[in-house]
Amino acid sequence: MTRLARTGVWPGILLAAGVFALCLVLALALGPASLSLGRLWQLVVAGPVQGDLDNAIFWQIRMPRVLVACLVGAALAVAGVILQDLFLNPLTDPYVTGVSSGAALGATIGIVLHWSNLPWVTVLALVGGLGTLTLVWMAARRRGRIDIFVLLLAGVTIAYLASAVVTVLMISANQDMHAIIYWLMGSFSGRGWADVEIALVTLPFMAVPLFFTAEMDILLQGEKRALELGVEVERTKRLLLVTAGVLTALAVSVSGIIGFVGLVVPHIVRLLVGPGHRALLPVSLLVGAAMMVVADLLSRMVISPNEIPVGVVTTFVGAPLFVYLLRRGRRA
Amino acid sequence: MTTIRIRRVTAAFLLTALLVLSVIALSACGAGTGAASPSPSASPSAGPITVTDDSGAAVTLAQPATRIVSLAPANTEIAYAIGAGDKMVAGTSFDDYPEEAKSLPKIGDFANPSVEKIASFQPDLVLAAGGIQAGLRSKFEKLGVQVYVVDPTTYEGVMTSITELGQLAGTSEEAQQVVETMKQAQTEVQGKVGALDKATTFLEIYSKPLMTAGSGTFIDDMITSAGGQNIGAEAGSGFPSFSTEVLVQKDPVVYIADSGSMSEPGDIAKRAGFSELTAVKDGRVYVIADNLIARPGPRLAEGLQELAKMIHPEAYAQQ
Repeated sequence: MTRLARTGVWPGILLAAGVFALCLVLALALGPASLSLGRLWQLVVAGPVQGDLDNAIFWQIRMPRVLVACLVGAALAVAGVILQDLFLNPLTDPYVTGVSSGAALGATIGIVLHWSNLPWVTVLALVGGLGTLTLVWMAARRRGRIDIFVLLLAGVTIAYLASAVVTVLMISANQDMHAIIYWLMGSFSGRGWADVEIALVTLPFMAVPLFFTAEMDILLQGEKRALELGVEVERTKRLLLVTAGVLTALAVSVSGIIGFVGLVVPHIVRLLVGPGHRALLPVSLLVGAAMMVVADLLSRMVISPNEIPVGVVTTFVGAPLFVYLLRRGRRA
Repeated sequence: MTTIRIRRVTAAFLLTALLVLSVIALSACGAGTGAASPSPSASPSAGPITVTDDSGAAVTLAQPATRIVSLAPANTEIAYAIGAGDKMVAGTSFDDYPEEAKSLPKIGDFANPSVEKIASFQPDLVLAAGGIQAGLRSKFEKLGVQVYVVDPTTYEGVMTSITELGQLAGTSEEAQQVVETMKQAQTEVQGKVGALDKATTFLEIYSKPLMTAGSGTFIDDMITSAGGQNIGAEAGSGFPSFSTEVLVQKDPVVYIADSGSMSEPGDIAKRAGFSELTAVKDGRVYVIADNLIARPGPRLAEGLQELAKMIHPEAYAQQ
């Protein structure tokens, strides 16, 4: 904090933005269908046009996929920061609120009913996620206050319940089992501009917590202390919880359940820039986006023309990095 | 305090025991009814029958099978096609062909066959599929039940399985007829498309993520026989995932979706980047019934002909 106070938050944010931009360019330039740098430049200048396979590969397949990965990574990282700090629990990830399990249930219903691939499965996943958020919310509301402890337990319980229903559906609709499993594993394969449009809705929600950085800093000291310091605890808490829930629901509905980013990115960023939210939130957003884009790039490239599930890559990339930073953080 | 706790423990124990006993009694009933229904036709045989199944194991029966349990829809289809339908005592809940198979007692679903349930039908031959099911052999051998694994990787392999099942069930002649029909289909397709250029073909098994039929599958074998060049074969064996970018770069002339992928030709054309595919532009996007190409059984003959018509419609246009 003292170091930050001296240098401000901008160097960190700018550095993260630089890293993110680099990852973005790499992800757009590289892919299993290799395009030369000259060809890439032509494609960028030409914009999306009909009648050219390379153009379709760049503008219709690679570009929307990379953008969805960016937005999902950023949304999960921001939701992770919010929830870890509201629950004051380092093990929290965006999925503890049950939103992802609810989304999984919605998607599973869509798959089992054979309501074609897109957009119904995505829409039902979103409905499932937001529905779960509402349920958990109602369970946690007592005399006009939201009890964080009850919210956490209700979220976990509803998550288990939804998972049980998904399992039952999976067993009873055996021929769809693979489809459901692949959805649950999460993937950016085949995501197009329609998915980008849904993912873009996360942008305003990612901006919300940026207006509450001071309140979030104080909330780290506990709700009671925050009340004493004049924070409108209830209002802030509600707004942030809904924001995190909506971000998670949107992210999961376009990508499936991709683990690790929402849990680990906030921790990595805290180790790098400290717990102050003025730096933590924007840097997490950028690092989350960068990490997801790189994970997706590796999932496309490593065993091309096959793909590795992106959730596996996020874990393989994130786990060693996290352990390294934890050890380094201890020593400092 | 302690006595109450002991009483509770005893009560819990008794309840559990009761539950276990009733389950045993129920399954015994099931076995009883199962044993009563079929007619054991002890046909005279010329000594023991031995064949080698697709897992490489020798399967020996002292006499032709009289009580057959099938653990896969394809196996059920074969059994009925070779005239062993009257020897079937149980099938899976996914058996849908032929019509009679639907009314068979069920052993449960394809993925989780229960050994107890299967044993309750007192089979002398269990027809398993490959993969997890092949591992059931050791369990059944202890019960003295023979397991024949049907896991072919080529069209020829399916014909071999059918021939061998005919031997095991004592219906070799009918099995031979089924194989003849399959051979005829093969010869006819070969005659029509054999001399034509191979058309690059992509076969979609699933769309999100995109998955295809790789090398070492009978689907790959059939695409080749039907005059296609399977793009998926270069992605490895089995049913691998496939990069959309590479698909567009390879630009198949024919795009065939397995109906199990739930894709419609209209949806496929609308997917990201697919509008530039030659197959889409030329209207060469098809959906094929998965039961005709994904089940290693007699209906592959139909599947092969369907594939040939999709991959080389020009060869069938003249008639």
